[in-house]
Amino acid sequence: MILIVNTTSDTSVTKEIKERAAGLGLEPEVIEAAGMKISHCIGCNYCWLKTPGVCSVKDDYEIILKKVIHADQLWVISDTALGFLDHKGKNIFDRILPIATMYLKFVKDQMRHVPRYEQRTDIGIICRGEPDMDYLQRWSERAALNFESRSLGVFGTERIKEAVSCMC
Amino acid sequence: MHVLIINGSPRVKQYSNTDKILEKFTEGLCENNTTYEQYEISDKNQWEDIRKAYYSNSNILIALPLYVECIPGLLMEFLETLSPKNDGTKIAYILQSGFAEGIQLRCGEAYLEKLTGFLGCEYAGTLVKGDNFSIRFFEGDMRDRVTGPYTEMGREYAANGGFNTDKCRAFTGYEILPAHMRLALGILQRTLARTMFARIARSWGCTKPLDYRPYQ
Repeated sequence: MILIVNTTSDTSVTKEIKERAAGLGLEPEVIEAAGMKISHCIGCNYCWLKTPGVCSVKDDYEIILKKVIHADQLWVISDTALGFLDHKGKNIFDRILPIATMYLKFVKDQMRHVPRYEQRTDIGIICRGEPDMDYLQRWSERAALNFESRSLGVFGTERIKEAVSCMC
Repeated sequence: MHVLIINGSPRVKQYSNTDKILEKFTEGLCENNTTYEQYEISDKNQWEDIRKAYYSNSNILIALPLYVECIPGLLMEFLETLSPKNDGTKIAYILQSGFAEGIQLRCGEAYLEKLTGFLGCEYAGTLVKGDNFSIRFFEGDMRDRVTGPYTEMGREYAANGGFNTDKCRAFTGYEILPAHMRLALGILQRTLARTMFARIARSWGCTKPLDYRPYQ
């Protein structure tokens, strides 16, 4: 399953993705998150140590989390701020912590959290605005290490066709 | 010198590891007449005061935990409200994490240098240090063993106006843990650490195994 979370208010991006994906016989699941109530991660560690796998912040993010654990790919569409994902885009990644457990292990030479679920979800980013693309590529690759998955890349909205070609 | 310190942790001050680090850091900072004022990003009621302090101070220190390889979403939300200064203001950072190895923080560190440019300020370096997850679970001497070394780094900052010194760079410790330590820690994580986490979880009222799968 391909999950697309659009944190921007521009639905023309998701419209184009859906049309292009349909042309490839794909039917991604799209969540328009701009109007949803999604707070930031408060770092309480409850999802690791008090209510394992469940976020203590009760808002619309649970809808996304329940889908992420079944997704082969997670694409986040984000506005840009200060060269990076804006806070709405970053919050989608910060709040994903419940998919990891408190347990730790080494993967190659670095420590990682043991994943909670069998599913591995690759991540892709589509950015509006003018991010520092080189940095975002590096960040996306590092972030994917935390999910034991891979980065599908970072694309500006002018490269949606390329992004969709990575959806399979 | 007067320093504006912003605790960029989204966790409330009482439980903030970053705050406990700053407690020790500021002890060293203040030894030679350096003064500071500190604010908490976790308290949105302080945001207007932080903005005013950002525009009126020329030495800024932002302390933050690493969240998914970069800065926490809440800190980003605050920073988005600022305008570039372009007046020679220096920003330094304390970047801390749970993972112990320095390499885990380098991606976040790289962004902090870029962020400084976007804010029209001068980069005064980042103090990079992991292995801080346990701070909130420790008290007294046990906690001091983890946070105490930051006092010397407070002295370094006061003396140099930033963290661009060999002493600060060495503070990170291991970039990657040596093989024998990885082997020992790997065994520890599969055994004693799990027992310890379970004990903490029970004391927090947890009734499920820590690898519980609520949505499957």
